[in-house]
Amino acid sequence: MRARVSAATTGIVAALLAVIAGSLLDVRPPDAYGICMACHARDLVNWTVNAAVGTRLTVAPASLVFPVLTPLGVLLGGLLAARTSGEFRWHRPDHPLKTFLYGVVVMNCALLAGGCSVRLLLRTAAGETLGIIGFGALAAGVIVGTHWLRWRAAR
Amino acid sequence: MIAAVTTLLAGLIVGYLGQRSRMCFVGGIRDFMLVRDGYLLRGLVAFGLTAWLAFPLVAAIGGAGVGPFGRPDAVTIILTAVGAFGVGYVSTLANGCPFRQHVLAAQGVVSSATYLAGFFAGAVIFHLWAAPLLLRLLP
Repeated sequence: MRARVSAATTGIVAALLAVIAGSLLDVRPPDAYGICMACHARDLVNWTVNAAVGTRLTVAPASLVFPVLTPLGVLLGGLLAARTSGEFRWHRPDHPLKTFLYGVVVMNCALLAGGCSVRLLLRTAAGETLGIIGFGALAAGVIVGTHWLRWRAAR
Repeated sequence: MIAAVTTLLAGLIVGYLGQRSRMCFVGGIRDFMLVRDGYLLRGLVAFGLTAWLAFPLVAAIGGAGVGPFGRPDAVTIILTAVGAFGVGYVSTLANGCPFRQHVLAAQGVVSSATYLAGFFAGAVIFHLWAAPLLLRLLP
């Protein structure tokens, strides 16, 4: 089933919003920081923890005074779209502990790399060498992962 | 405060479109490899090309430019490559990039919500334990 909005449209709108947010609307420094699911989630979580219990966990300069709210926005946007289209349905989890650990590992790897898949591509588009290296490694990770899934399914 | 409002609104729009389009930044490469389906891959390419064109255009109309980026040292390159490889590999196993997991959690998929719980906990874990440990081990 094809969705009503194409992935290409989403990609174009997301990229425009990311660049405008980063370059015109103060979502910086660092550069190319308009959209990142990992760094922005880190900023939001760490800022909240800092405010609640007085720790000094790292947040990006863009989130020092008040944190970026991308994760909240995406969750609300997704919820709105699912509700209005009748696609909201509760699905019970298969392996809760495993998926929880996947989340922990992906966040740690993303913070090590300086961005999730979205921001690595954004940094690549901005012409940063590290972004290009990161996106290449990300693509390699996906290719190896897909081979692994295929191998496991065929066994 | 501007950044907070901007990201909330941008997130809202992208989250809405992401749910309607099933956009995933990892799924593009995976689907193309598995079944030669380029639907999600087109989204990935569109994002990259649009951003690549938009950075200089927005700078030309008075926005803050990006860069210049300094030359990265070898340790940073290795850490970036290892981290990014991990993001790609584990996201494939987890069945979607962090963006897709946010959208799935918002449409009621509890395993994605569980993933997000780990994802958010991971931020604190990284800065409390993983990063200090890494700093001690690195030259």
